[in-house]
Amino acid sequence: MSERPRLTIPDAGMLGTARTRRDVLKMMAMGGALVMLPSAIACSDDDDNGGLTGPGPNTGNAVTIDFAKPGDVGVLQFAYALEQLEADFYTQVVNNFSGSTAFSAAEQAILTDIKYHEVLHRELFKAALGATNGFTLTPTYGNLDFKNRTAVLNAARDFEDLGVAAYNGAGQYLTVGANLTLAGKIVSVEARHAAVIRDLINPKSADFAPNAFDDVKRPATVRTAAQGFVVDKLTFANPPATFANAPGTNNTTG
Amino acid sequence: MTTDTMISNIDPEILDTLDARASEIAQGASVDSKIAALLALGSIPIALGALAKDAYAQTPAAVLDVLQFALLLEHLEAEFYTRAVAGAGLIPAADLALFTRIRDHENAHVTGLQGLITAKGGTPVARPAFDFTAKGALAGFNFTGAGQYATFQAVAQAFEDTGVRAYKGQAEFLINDKPALSAALSIHSVEARHAAVVRKLRGQKGWITGNSRGDLPPFTQGVYDGEDNGTQATVVITGLPGAAANGGINAATEAFDEPLTKAQVTAIITPFLP
Repeated sequence: MSERPRLTIPDAGMLGTARTRRDVLKMMAMGGALVMLPSAIACSDDDDNGGLTGPGPNTGNAVTIDFAKPGDVGVLQFAYALEQLEADFYTQVVNNFSGSTAFSAAEQAILTDIKYHEVLHRELFKAALGATNGFTLTPTYGNLDFKNRTAVLNAARDFEDLGVAAYNGAGQYLTVGANLTLAGKIVSVEARHAAVIRDLINPKSADFAPNAFDDVKRPATVRTAAQGFVVDKLTFANPPATFANAPGTNNTTG
Repeated sequence: MTTDTMISNIDPEILDTLDARASEIAQGASVDSKIAALLALGSIPIALGALAKDAYAQTPAAVLDVLQFALLLEHLEAEFYTRAVAGAGLIPAADLALFTRIRDHENAHVTGLQGLITAKGGTPVARPAFDFTAKGALAGFNFTGAGQYATFQAVAQAFEDTGVRAYKGQAEFLINDKPALSAALSIHSVEARHAAVVRKLRGQKGWITGNSRGDLPPFTQGVYDGEDNGTQATVVITGLPGAAANGGINAATEAFDEPLTKAQVTAIITPFLP
């Protein structure tokens, strides 16, 4: 199959203002834009995770993610919301290492790496979306005990599994090939996180990958799960009307 | 701005794409009637924009090509793990559950892809007679005995990390076939789970740092070339706020897996093909 030019995702400024004629043409010609997908949060509708549910929903600021925005911006915002939650979660986890014996040194190194990755994902989306399309969420975890190994790992597992399912489910709404590739670059790292966390919970078992075909979840399903961990009210405008599921008995509902 | 000056600023790659698309159209590929109308009107810049987007519209043949390529990779993995799990004394009991799960997944991927290909009117590619000695690079390897376990694990890591990159590289070619895309994405993340757990079992990080192949043999370097990319969507990751305090360049490369082209993947697996 032929190789294809890779359209790079524009940075923040490019969303609103093309800087050169070449950029303008690229945006016109390729339908230029950004984006990605969701990653995630804790989840409750999956029989193979812990059924974690958050304390929300809430009364904070309303954050509307508009899937009708041109150039895949809505999907990018969806991903940004989820990466904000993941980054904040692992930041809390790492901040709670001090004075705690919950995690071994090796486990702390793993969780710290994951925190780095999630923070970088968040910052990339923040830079790409810019002030116009960006927003800042305030996460909330209820009474989650960040010094309890089991509680933290179970929550991490659920966040990672939901993130994987969210990206897998939102990929189909991307319209620009380069954006799909970028989403792919992130989702596989989320899947690596999920497998490693699951292997910490039950080492050398078959638990690292529950299904031959990973979950592919609708954005609305992911939003419902994520809402429990956000003070702000997450709302979709112009949500996708159609959904293509993947094979597998676990993928019967999306 | 005149049409000429606009065209002079078009990326040569885009023109190449259009040229290829034009050939497809000439060969009978369908073209959106609106694009045809724009072309007829001589509205080149507008038609160009529309066609460039249309160039992403992959033909059923192109989608089948992707699925057949994926099936070949899954055949390779399925055969590899099937022989390993059945191999006398190869995998210690403590690690058997993990590798049996991977075997079962790869077999399910083979079956799933065969179904997709058949449903699209294709004939699924048959399983070749693979050479797991990699044309002598792994001389004597035959899935037998505890002494070969380290080699098996190393090849498993290389296959899984390759699989992740291969699916990632093909995803964009499925962008207009949503069911095929969802299936591919669903498999892609499972391959990443496999890769991470095998890496962890081998004492490696679950994610890839820079373009390091770690303790794998030199002939596997192609599996990791390009993984040291530090720029995503034109953004230099280490230049982002807080990047220095969040792992620097190592984390910047770990946080993003990179795609491989079909040609790159083919080069990696060729030693294992008949």
